[in-house]
Amino acid sequence: MAIPYFPGCTLKTKATGLDDSTRATLAALGLEVAELPEWTCCGTVYPLAQDNYMGKVAAARILINASKEDDGRLVTVCSFCYNVLKRVNHAIKNDEETRTKLTQFLEEEYAGETKLVHPLELLRDDVGFDTLQKKVNNKLKGIKVASYYGCMLSRPAAEMQFDEESENPTVMEDLVSAMGAEAVDFKYKTTCCGSYQVMKTYDLVVKKVREILEGAKAKGAQVIITSCPLCQFNLDWIQEKIAEEDSSFDKIPVLYFTQLLGVALDVPVEKLGLEKNYVDPKPLLQG
Amino acid sequence: MPEEKMVNIYIMNKQYEVPAGVTIMKAMEFAGYQFVRGCGCRGGFCGACGTVYRKPGDFRLRSGLACQLQAEEGMYLAQIPFYPANRSTYDLQELTPELSTILTHYPEVTRCLGCNQCTKICPQGLDVMDYIAAAQRGDVEKAAHMSFDCIMCGLCVSRCPAEIVHYNVGILCRRLYGRHIIPKAEHLAKRVEEIKSGKFDGELNDLMGKSQEELTKIYDDRDMEQ
Amino acid sequence: MYTAEMLELIKVVEQTREKRMSETFPRINVEEKNKLLRGFHPDYMDGAMRPVQLGPNKGDALPHEHVDILESRSWVDPADVDLEKIDFDVDVLVIGGGGAGTSAAIMAAEGGADVLMATKLRHGDANTMMAEGGIQAADKENDSPPIHYLDVMGGGGFLNIPELVSALVSDAPICIEWLENFGAMFSKFPDGTMNTIHGGGTSRRRMHFAHDYTGAEIMRTLRDEARNRGVKVLEFAPAVELLKDDQGQVAGAILYNMETEKYYIVRAKAVIMATGGSGRLHINESPTTNHYGATADGIIMSYRAGAKLAFLNATQFHPTGVAFPEQVVGQLVTEKVRGLGAQLVNIEGEQFFYPLETRDAVSSAIIRECRERGKGLTVPSGSGVWLDSPMIDIIHGKGTVQEELPAMFRMFDNFGIKMDETPIIIYPTLHYQNGGVLINDKAETEIEGLYIAGECAGGVHGRNRLMGNSLLDILVFGRRAGMNAAEKIKNVKVGKLNLEHAAEYNQELDKLGLNERVSPILIPDYRYKISG
Ligand SMILES: Cc1cc2nc3c(=O)[nH]c(=O)nc-3n(C[C@H](O)[C@H](O)[C@H](O)COP(=O)(O)OP(=O)(O)OC[C@H]3O[C@@H](n4cnc5c(N)ncnc54)[C@H](O)[C@@H]3O)c2cc1C
Ligand code: SF4
Ligand code: SF4
Ligand code: FES
Repeated sequence: MAIPYFPGCTLKTKATGLDDSTRATLAALGLEVAELPEWTCCGTVYPLAQDNYMGKVAAARILINASKEDDGRLVTVCSFCYNVLKRVNHAIKNDEETRTKLTQFLEEEYAGETKLVHPLELLRDDVGFDTLQKKVNNKLKGIKVASYYGCMLSRPAAEMQFDEESENPTVMEDLVSAMGAEAVDFKYKTTCCGSYQVMKTYDLVVKKVREILEGAKAKGAQVIITSCPLCQFNLDWIQEKIAEEDSSFDKIPVLYFTQLLGVALDVPVEKLGLEKNYVDPKPLLQG
Repeated sequence: MPEEKMVNIYIMNKQYEVPAGVTIMKAMEFAGYQFVRGCGCRGGFCGACGTVYRKPGDFRLRSGLACQLQAEEGMYLAQIPFYPANRSTYDLQELTPELSTILTHYPEVTRCLGCNQCTKICPQGLDVMDYIAAAQRGDVEKAAHMSFDCIMCGLCVSRCPAEIVHYNVGILCRRLYGRHIIPKAEHLAKRVEEIKSGKFDGELNDLMGKSQEELTKIYDDRDMEQ
Repeated sequence: MYTAEMLELIKVVEQTREKRMSETFPRINVEEKNKLLRGFHPDYMDGAMRPVQLGPNKGDALPHEHVDILESRSWVDPADVDLEKIDFDVDVLVIGGGGAGTSAAIMAAEGGADVLMATKLRHGDANTMMAEGGIQAADKENDSPPIHYLDVMGGGGFLNIPELVSALVSDAPICIEWLENFGAMFSKFPDGTMNTIHGGGTSRRRMHFAHDYTGAEIMRTLRDEARNRGVKVLEFAPAVELLKDDQGQVAGAILYNMETEKYYIVRAKAVIMATGGSGRLHINESPTTNHYGATADGIIMSYRAGAKLAFLNATQFHPTGVAFPEQVVGQLVTEKVRGLGAQLVNIEGEQFFYPLETRDAVSSAIIRECRERGKGLTVPSGSGVWLDSPMIDIIHGKGTVQEELPAMFRMFDNFGIKMDETPIIIYPTLHYQNGGVLINDKAETEIEGLYIAGECAGGVHGRNRLMGNSLLDILVFGRRAGMNAAEKIKNVKVGKLNLEHAAEYNQELDKLGLNERVSPILIPDYRYKISG
C-alpha cells in the first residue's frame, strides 16, 4: 500500500531533482508513495509567534488530509516542509489551545495522529540499513561523503525528535556506510548555511557556506549530501560565484542524499535529476 | 410551487415578503428592485450577481449567485456587484507557461495562507485554494483545468487575507495552457492555409449561384457523417 | 426535486430506454419540415405580428413586441441636447460589449483606430457569455466551407443572403485559429486535434466546444485580450441614440450613464453596433434564455437612422428550454445534450422526433407533441416533454455528463435533480433573433459610417440559425466590422453633429398618433412580479 507523500512547492519547481530521486529510489526499494491528491504550500516557515494560528492552518490541513488516508503516515523529504509539518503536528498534539483553534477553524477532529516521516527514517526503519547494504552496487566504494544536515531536520530538538542526538545526528552517515561509501564526520554538519539570508545578506551567507565547504573538504570529503533544497542551493550555487572570483577554488559536488542513493541502487541517471546541479557531480560518480 | 408560500427575506437588512423558492434575483425584483448592477446573464454564467447571506442563529457566511440561489425564510443578504481587483497586463504571445510567469504577474500568490476561505465562498463550488496552490508551484495545466468553471464573480477575492485575485490568476493560467501547452490543431492550420489560397472559392461561388430549388435538392441528398 | 407523480412517469421513460437506444428516429425532408413549421412554429401563429407603420420597413409584419419598440419615440428630446459639448472624440465607437463588439474593438484597435467601447452592463455580461453548446467551423478533413455553406442555407430555409453565408463559412477556421492563438481552451485531444460533435442540422461533426462553457470561454478570453490591449470601455453606459453629421453619415452616439443618469456625447468617424438580441422582449409571452440586456436597442437606433431590417419576423425558439423546475423555467438546456445522444421522449416513453433536426423543426415538433397529440407532461408553467439525459452516460461512459456538461449539471443539481440519473423536462424557449439590421459582407449597412455585427445583424442565418453559427457569426462579422471601420476612418471627416433623423422620426410618430412609448428600453421592468 502506498504511503501518502507531500512533495512541497519547491520540489515542483526548483528542486525537481529531489522529488524525482526520492520517488525513484524509494520505488527501487519497493516503497510506494502516493502524492496527496490536493495540497497547498505548507507555509514554509514555522510561525514563531505562538498565537499565529493562521500560519499553521495550511500545515494542519495537510496533516489532516493525510490522516484520512489508510496508511497513517505522511512522507515528506524537503527539510523545510518536514520541519513545519512536524512542528505543527507537535503543537496540535501537545498544546490544547493550538489544537482547539486549528481544529475548530478547519472543522475537523484531529489530535496529531498523522505520523510524519522523513525518507531517511524510512530507509533506517522500514528498509533497514542492513538490508539496504545487500541491495547496493559497489559504485560508491571509496568515495568520501560528508553528510550535511543543516538546521531544519533536527531543530528544535524537543519538537523534531529527529535521530538520537539532535545536535549530532548520524542517520545520514549510517546511510552512507550502507551505500558502500565512506562517511566522513565534520564539525559543520549542523551549522546553519545562512538560509534565506542569501537574498538579503549575501556576503554573510558566502562566509558561512565557505566555512562548511572547507570544513568538509578538510576532512577529505569528495561530495556533500543533504535533504534540504535551500541548503543544496546555497552550498552548490555559491561555489560558482566563489569560483568566478577565486580561480584556485576547488569545487565539491553537493547532492541530495537520494541522488547518491540512486547511483548506489543503479537507478537510471535520468531519473535522478542531476542536470540542475551547478557543480557537476558526474565526473566523480562515473569514477 | 413558488406563488403558494411566502417567506421573509432581508435585503440589506430590510424585510420583504417574497414567494418561497424563487431565485434571489426574482425575489428582489418582486420586492421592487430594478437592477442596474448585480444582474447580467440571469443564467449562472456571467458572475454579475454574487450574493452573500446569513441565516438567523448561524454564524456561517454563505454565498450564491442571485440568479441561481433560492429564497428561504430568514435570509439576510447583500449582493457584492463589484470588488476592486488587481489585474496584470501582458502579451500572451511572449509569455512562457511556467512559474516565473505567474510570479512576475501575480507575486501575491505566494502569500496564500491556506485558510480556504476562497473555496468556501465560491458559488461555483470550485477548489479555489487548490487551483491557487497549483499556480503557486507553477502547475499551469492543473490550475487551468481546476479554474475552468470560474465565472469571475469575485466573491473569493472579497474573502482572501492574502489579497489574491484568484480569477485573474485562473485566466492567466488558462490562456497560458490554451496557447502554450496544449498543441495547436494541425487540421485547423491546414484548413486556414487552404482557405487563404482560395481552394474553396470556386465551389462556393458555384453554390452561391444556385437557385433555391437546386439547393434544396442538393441539401436533401447530402451525406451525413454518423 | 421532482414530484412523486413525475418520479412515477420517469419509470416509463426508463422502461423504454433500452429499446430506444438502438433506434434512430427517421429524419424529415424539406417539404415535411415546411408543413410542420407552418402548423406549429410560433412565427406562424395567428395574431403574432402586425405591420410596422413607419421607417424603412414600413408595412412589414413583425412580432408585436418588436413593433412596439420600433413605434416608439427617441429616448432624448433632440431639441434639448447640446451637441457642441463633446465628451469623447474617437475614431471608432463600438456599442455593445459582447462577443461581436469585443472582436470588433480588438480588430479596430489593431487596425490603428482609437476605439471606445460603450456597453450597457459590465463588459461581457452578454448572450455570448451564456452560449454553452459550441461553435461551428469546417476545419476537419472530411468537411469543407462549401459543405458548411449548404448546412447553413438549409437551416435558414434557403433564404439566407449568399454573400454573408460565404463570408461566414470561409472565415470560420480563421476565427477559430484566432481564438486558439489567444489561448481559448477548446476541448481538444492530447495531440491538439479539436474535439468536434454534431449540432442540429449539421452534416459533419464540426461543433467545437469548451466543455459547456463555450461562449464563456470565448467571451472571457476576448475580454482579457481587449484589456491587455488597452481598449477603453465604458460600462453601464448604453447608447440611447445615434448621431449623424451634416452629410448624413453616422458620426457618434449619445450614451446614458445608468448610474449617474448623465448623458455623454460621443463623436466618432464610424460606429459599430453590436448590441445583440432581443429575448427580453418576451415575444409570444415566452420565457427566454437571453441575458438581461437583450432588448433590441441596436435595432431601433439603427432603424431611426434609416437602416433596413431583414428577417426580424423570424424568431428562434430553442427546443430545449427548462420546463421544470419553475425557478429556472426558460433557461437553456444546451443542444449539446442532444448532440451527445439524449433523445426526446413523450409521456408514454416514446421517442417522437429526430433530436438533431434544425431548431425550428424540433421546437415545432415538441409543441405539436404537447398541443395536438396531447402526449406532453403537465408542469406548473404549462407543458413539457422528456429529454432523456441519462442516455449520455450510458453511451459515452459514466461521468460524461459531469465532465462535458458541468454548467448544466450544476444548474439542475442546485434544485435536487441529477440529470445523469434522471431525465429532465424541457419545452421550447425564446432564444435567438434570427434577423436584424441588414448588412453586407463587410458588415456595412446602407447608412454611411454604420456597421453592424452579431445578433443585431440580419441576413446571415435566413429564417433560422443553426447552433454554433452565432458564436461564429459574432467573430466573423465582428472582426470584419472592426477591420473595415479602421480602414474606412482613414478617409472620414466628421461634419457638424445632429439628431435630425430622430427628430423626424418623432414627428412621424406624432402624425401617426404613436407618441407614448419611448425606446430603446435598455432594461426590462420586472418589478413587483415574478418574471424573466
Ligand atoms: C443561453 C444561450 C446559449 C447560446 N448557445 C449558443 C451556442 O451554443 N452556439 C452559438 O453559436 N450560439 C449560441 N447562442 C447565441 C449566441 O450566444 C449569441 O447570439 C451571440 O453570442 C450574440 O453575440 P453578440 O455580441 O451579438 O451579442 P451579446 O453577446 O448579447 O452582446 C451584446 C452586448 O451589447 C450590450 N448592449 C445591449 N444594448 C446596448 C446599448 N443600448 N448600448 C450599449 N450596449 C448595449 C449588451 O448588454 C451586451 O453586452 C446562445 C445564446 C444564449 C442566450
Ligand atoms: S473562483 Fe472566485 S471568481 Fe471564480 S467563481 Fe469561484 S468565487 Fe467566483
Ligand atoms: S482565501 Fe487567499 S489565503 Fe485563503 S486559501 Fe484562498 S488564496 Fe489562500
Ligand atoms: S446574473 Fe449572470 S451569473 Fe447570475
